[in-house]
Amino acid sequence: MKKNYREQIRGLAPLLVLVGLVLVIGVLRPGFLSWDSLVVTVANTAILFILAAGSTFVVMLGSIDLSIQAICSFASVIVAVMLPGYGYAAFPAAVAMGLVIGTLSGLFHVWLRIPSFIVTLATSGLLVSAALLFSHERAISIDEAGRARLAWVTGDFLGLPNVIWVAALVTGLGIWSQKYTPFGRYSIAIGAGEPATWASGVRVNRYKVIAFAVSGALAALAGVLMAGREGSGSPTLADQLLLPAIAAVIVGGTAITGGAGGIGRTAVGALIITIVRVGMTFIGVDIFAQQIVFGVVLVLAVALTIDRTKIVIVK
Amino acid sequence: MAEKAFLNLTDVSKAFAGVQALDQVSIEVRPGEVVGLVGENGAGKSTLMRILAGVYRPDSGTLLLDGKPLLLHSPREANFQGIGIVFQEQSLLPNLTVAENIYLGQEKEFSRWGVISWPALHAAAKRQLEKVQLPIDPATRTAHLSFAERQMVELAKALALEERTERHLVILLDEPTSVLEQREIDILFERVRALRNRASFVFVSHRLDEVLHISDRVYVMKDGKVVAQMPASETNVPELHRLMVGRELHAEYYREARQREPAEKLVMRAESLTAEGAYRNVDFALRQGEILGIAGVIGSGREALTRTLFGFLPHSAGKLTVAGKPVRLTSPDQAAALGIGYIPRERRVEGLVLALPIVPNITLASLATVMKRGAIQGAKERKLAESWVEKLRVRTPSVDALCLNLSGGNQQKVVLSKWMNARSKILIFDHPTRGLDVGAKEEVYDLMRTLSEEGISIILTADTLEETIGLSHSILVMRDGEVTARFDATPGKKPAQVDLIRHMV
Repeated sequence: MKKNYREQIRGLAPLLVLVGLVLVIGVLRPGFLSWDSLVVTVANTAILFILAAGSTFVVMLGSIDLSIQAICSFASVIVAVMLPGYGYAAFPAAVAMGLVIGTLSGLFHVWLRIPSFIVTLATSGLLVSAALLFSHERAISIDEAGRARLAWVTGDFLGLPNVIWVAALVTGLGIWSQKYTPFGRYSIAIGAGEPATWASGVRVNRYKVIAFAVSGALAALAGVLMAGREGSGSPTLADQLLLPAIAAVIVGGTAITGGAGGIGRTAVGALIITIVRVGMTFIGVDIFAQQIVFGVVLVLAVALTIDRTKIVIVK
Repeated sequence: MAEKAFLNLTDVSKAFAGVQALDQVSIEVRPGEVVGLVGENGAGKSTLMRILAGVYRPDSGTLLLDGKPLLLHSPREANFQGIGIVFQEQSLLPNLTVAENIYLGQEKEFSRWGVISWPALHAAAKRQLEKVQLPIDPATRTAHLSFAERQMVELAKALALEERTERHLVILLDEPTSVLEQREIDILFERVRALRNRASFVFVSHRLDEVLHISDRVYVMKDGKVVAQMPASETNVPELHRLMVGRELHAEYYREARQREPAEKLVMRAESLTAEGAYRNVDFALRQGEILGIAGVIGSGREALTRTLFGFLPHSAGKLTVAGKPVRLTSPDQAAALGIGYIPRERRVEGLVLALPIVPNITLASLATVMKRGAIQGAKERKLAESWVEKLRVRTPSVDALCLNLSGGNQQKVVLSKWMNARSKILIFDHPTRGLDVGAKEEVYDLMRTLSEEGISIILTADTLEETIGLSHSILVMRDGEVTARFDATPGKKPAQVDLIRHMV
């Protein structure tokens, strides 16, 4: 049972890191611990979290989705382009695009048995080009009328920004589906032992496709929210978010090799990433240098969370 | 034969996760001698070979080579000591050329400034191929060779050692003939005889006649021990067999008293079932509550047949009927949906998700049984898992224990619980007692009898003939992809092992 004890500590580590970081920054800059400041921090985390939340299931399967930032940007372009002419229909259209793209990536991945990072890398390239063409290679700002329709993104409810409520809803649904649905159960099982899961009669391919579809849809939702907060859509809007999003999943404690983790953990991971970012700004790290830190954090997190005894060969 | 031994093993023991694979084994090999090693699956032959090849290290005991202590930490070190192995599962890399395979890891000898001299490498490989009289171009891609040719290349690779050491060689042949044709076996044996002035051989095979044919001396292993040792000229196949099995058939060991005549109702039927390149024209009928054993050596097609029945390898011709409906199973989920369950030989890979606890493993094949209005009911699922753990007497501190931490026998019970919870009507037992100790085996036999009494039908491919005969109601014997015999195995009328063997080889 000693082993379980150690595993519990390991499981709690991300949360402890989060609390530690908050306290450190709180000491360095006492204003950070004020209610308003914390709310802003959480609101700033929401979009990164939603982007990362979708790919959490994909990572749990042992795969990876490298197209989330492209889907996110494309969704923002769709919102910006469609909002004047089609009104509210722009939002479901953007999310549907993400769902379809995710599903297609999943289908190509399982049908043609192409590694997920290749399929989604290709999807990503395709979407980046499509978004550039669609937007005529520029950011499209949303006019006053359009912004009125974005009030649900920018507004508050019960004193909290709506993006926090959306993120909370995603967290709730994610945790629920992991605990109570076959999709959640099988995602973990496939990640931890695909041959046994397959040989138990589980339709492994179906659940893999669902995971990619969820990832695409949530990435698009993140794009919609981003368009709302920025007041514009751009084909390069989320370019800098892929690395932090994947880092959030892994830092939260979802194993890159699959089979362990969850959306709750990704929420913690996303908060850690945001606070690291705040801290870096505070100590004056150049904004363009921040990706270096995220890269280092990602590699360290993988190195710390991976269970090497279960992996024979790393490719 | 008074010659001094060249290779000496004294009191070598090795245990894996509590199972004693080798128990104080002593063996000696003299220069130029061919030593045969026989025993049932699990007797410890492969473990012994792997210790000699430097793959495993013994827990205790000593190895002497040419009178000097031998400490092997890797296959590479064994190679440098002049010990080569021709593995049962071929170890050549199909995407490399023959020459590259022969000198894999030894390219340094042929390179200058880190650049390989291909002409030198090919010339050297050609020399090795000549030793086994294989007239092929060393630049041929290994994937293009026939199975037998590849086996010869393996032998050539082992013989290449003699240029690296001044010593006499020891070459280990682990089931080299199991997939070869007679003509190819003749060539192999001829080469072995011709090479005796440069090498000693240790030959492992389940084909006893071949062992007697080629060996000077034979060691018989059973349950990790050497139980007999004699010159090949002084023994015969039936005697070896008796020594390997080591006891008369124990009727109660296989719970024969509990064997009942199965119902008339057919649950599965195969007519001229064929899978291209694996087996052909297989007919059988499986009745409710029947245990149908399938006997055959590696390559007989029985493994492929069992995999067809669970959707891993769809048949290409013929007819398969399950519960009265013709079916062609193209994936395991289709088989599971028809009420078929599979207890795989690779328990830790295909049987269980090791990194998950017992609970989700038990419901993995039947999650619907614990769902209500689209949601998994955690409490109900846990109770269900606890009831199975109690019923099958799985020894574990709790149902939350990871399957990783269970013993082999308890893991097997969890796999069984999974299919029992899914209410499977037909269970395919693929080597169900592999790696289990005697006590766990008996528990599995008990469970199989209980299942049979409850009307569950079983298809069994067992590790030993003894097990096949003891447990089955009827037996199908396969050879080279075809059914060669059928036996009724009602208690009192059970066939003898030699009856089956005659149709297997």
